[in-house]
Amino acid sequence: MNNEAKQTAALLTVSPSPHIKHNDTTRTIMVDVIIALIPALIWGVICFGLRALAIVLLAVGSSVLFEFAFNKLLKKPNPIGDFSAAVTGLLLGLNLPAATSYWIPVIGSFFAIVVVKGLFGGIGKNFMNPALAARVFLFAWPEEMTMFTEPFKRLGLFASSENISDVIASATPLASLKSGNLPDISWVDLITGKCAGCIGEVSSALLIVGGIYLLVRKVITWHIPVSFIGSVAILSAIFPQNGDILSFVMSEVFAGGLLLGAIFMATDYVTSPVTAKGRLIYGALCGAIVVFIRYFGGYPEGVSFAILIMNTLVYYLDKFTKPRPFGKIKGGASHG
Amino acid sequence: MTYTFRGGTHVAEHKNTRNSPIEKMPAPAELHIPMSQHIGAHCAPTVKVGDRVLRGQIIGEIESGLGCPVHSSVSGTVKAITSYNNAQAQPVKTIVIENDGEYELHPDIKPFDKKLTETTTEEIIEIVKKAGISGMGGASFPTYAKISSAIGKVDKLIINCAECEPFITANHRLMLERPAEIINGTKILLKAFGLREADIAVEDNKLDAVDKLEEKIGDSKMIKVKVMKTKYPQGDERQLIYALTGKEIPQGKLPADVGCVIFNAETCASVYRAFSQGLPLIERIVTVAGDCVVTPKNVLVPIGTTFKDLIDFCGGLKKEPKKIISGGPMMGFAQWDINSPVIKGTSAILVFSEAMCPEDKQDYACIRCGRCVKNCPMHLMPNYLAMFSQKGKYEDAEKYDVMSCVECGTCSYNCPGHVPIVQYIRVSKGALRAKKAAESAKAASNMPDIEKK
Repeated sequence: MNNEAKQTAALLTVSPSPHIKHNDTTRTIMVDVIIALIPALIWGVICFGLRALAIVLLAVGSSVLFEFAFNKLLKKPNPIGDFSAAVTGLLLGLNLPAATSYWIPVIGSFFAIVVVKGLFGGIGKNFMNPALAARVFLFAWPEEMTMFTEPFKRLGLFASSENISDVIASATPLASLKSGNLPDISWVDLITGKCAGCIGEVSSALLIVGGIYLLVRKVITWHIPVSFIGSVAILSAIFPQNGDILSFVMSEVFAGGLLLGAIFMATDYVTSPVTAKGRLIYGALCGAIVVFIRYFGGYPEGVSFAILIMNTLVYYLDKFTKPRPFGKIKGGASHG
Repeated sequence: MTYTFRGGTHVAEHKNTRNSPIEKMPAPAELHIPMSQHIGAHCAPTVKVGDRVLRGQIIGEIESGLGCPVHSSVSGTVKAITSYNNAQAQPVKTIVIENDGEYELHPDIKPFDKKLTETTTEEIIEIVKKAGISGMGGASFPTYAKISSAIGKVDKLIINCAECEPFITANHRLMLERPAEIINGTKILLKAFGLREADIAVEDNKLDAVDKLEEKIGDSKMIKVKVMKTKYPQGDERQLIYALTGKEIPQGKLPADVGCVIFNAETCASVYRAFSQGLPLIERIVTVAGDCVVTPKNVLVPIGTTFKDLIDFCGGLKKEPKKIISGGPMMGFAQWDINSPVIKGTSAILVFSEAMCPEDKQDYACIRCGRCVKNCPMHLMPNYLAMFSQKGKYEDAEKYDVMSCVECGTCSYNCPGHVPIVQYIRVSKGALRAKKAAESAKAASNMPDIEKK
């Protein structure tokens, strides 16, 4: 009797198949990316002090705030629950030097979230990686973006400009490479992260750990990181600028932002190809542009530029690597 | 070795009725038997209101064209001949029969008494047609027509026991409990095609069924069991043929065009029953499952039993139902009426609460993760197809081979952005079909009368 009542009272939903869904959502994916970046962030704080944490948190907080405010202004549903703005802020923060001014991450977040993402239609619609575009925009203040400090000379939250100038590093490993010398630290130290650089880029080992986590969780595929890093390694082995090829290649790979870029930035879904072949080509070309800029460009580092340049080619890569549909057989036979 | 294909995805299996033996359900007091249960022409009733009908008696017959007869599942009285909407919202003439509980068999129903070796192909086709057998895996094509159109073209017979849809275990139980029916049915079909070898394809989550089938096959070299990787949509005929033979069915073609013919496991068993007992297709195995059902089980159900009667047989519902699905959760149809009848193609009834199938998010967004591209068994780019459809660019969708989509649902299932990709694709396909139909109608009307015929 009770059952019958339930059955007749129920209003049934009629909707198209499929009726079940996988548990992964945009939000779970973004949370995985955040988890994967935490070790690198912790290392950055150990290396450069609490100021590094403050810079990153400012970037995250202001990104989320701009996302909320922008969508509120446009009377759109509040999207901050998908955590994509938090990831953008986190990546931006990790791409900044710890000694930069506190307004830098805020300006950067505005550019990333409002200009690059929001104005192009929000999540999934931006054609450039917001965090990277913001980083390049922030090079309008070159001194702010190159205030690299010595590792383990930690900065407090309210470090004065004197404090900061005392610990400014003489040269980042990449700057040494640019001037034609190997960095004065070994590549083993580069891998563990005992060197000057942006907050999140220094510890190659922990970035690789994060990358493995993302691979295991199937958030990213291997194609972009492997072809990106591989092409940098191969090109620098073919054209070494220094006698000791092994040390040179290792320094090119592990110094600077290559790993952070190849594992976390170039794999950004929205701005990378959707096909496996397209991803391989995209990664390889990113690597080639990095080497080109490092060798011939005005800046010591080229990862951000390389990824942004390749971002603009993503739709063409998708188109040219469109898979052959099942049953579409060359030489006629199809379309019966 | 396990056979498989490129693409597809492992969907959470939910095969919690795999250990539930098939229970025979007594026919309810009233049955609703539709005159159209599959592709092809509708049947015309051959009985009148008030007539007494017997179990297995023909009550609807095809007047012309493709189709097969409909039989009464019980003995009793024709109470009404009326019209109900089917799952596709089309009105279908339905014969309502009041069950008298006698189960009196129609006198025409008797075993076919010739030896298989002496039986001709024509006789087999005739028996299958008279028994009203149509595909029982879901697509429901009249079986006699499939046989006769494939004769002479095929060199491989495949029996599809992949059962890749989650929740459904009807074929699994059939293989465990009545393997001989499948194997004998396969032998009859082999005889019809004049072939010497057949493959029975089973996914590797049903290895106990593989053992049972192999035990029954014994030393016979004619039938081989092939173990398939458990992956959705392994049971799709394109993926199945590719996995077993390496051949791709060209776009718009049929299995026979690559020399293969496929039958569902239960269809095959029904062919055998039409021979051994003379029984037409008047009952089938249905998996009743889902989180709302008190006792999920596999039930042998008389065709025409309403979902409500069947659900009540399984203890009724314990939660507020949100969706009632006829078929699997990936490709089945959501029903609006709990009084819809079980028909020849109903492999499962799933009753889901809100928890199993939460409301789709309204603010969905593609984040271009590429999972749909990676997993598409037809190797399409579903994200682009959805985008083109969203913008009304149906010609672009056509260039990206939207018509090749089999609507298996793998893309929507995996989409973290909750984009209803398959539904967008259906919109494109519908628009392209309508355009094509309009063009050909226009071409026909422009033709001079003499060519019109």
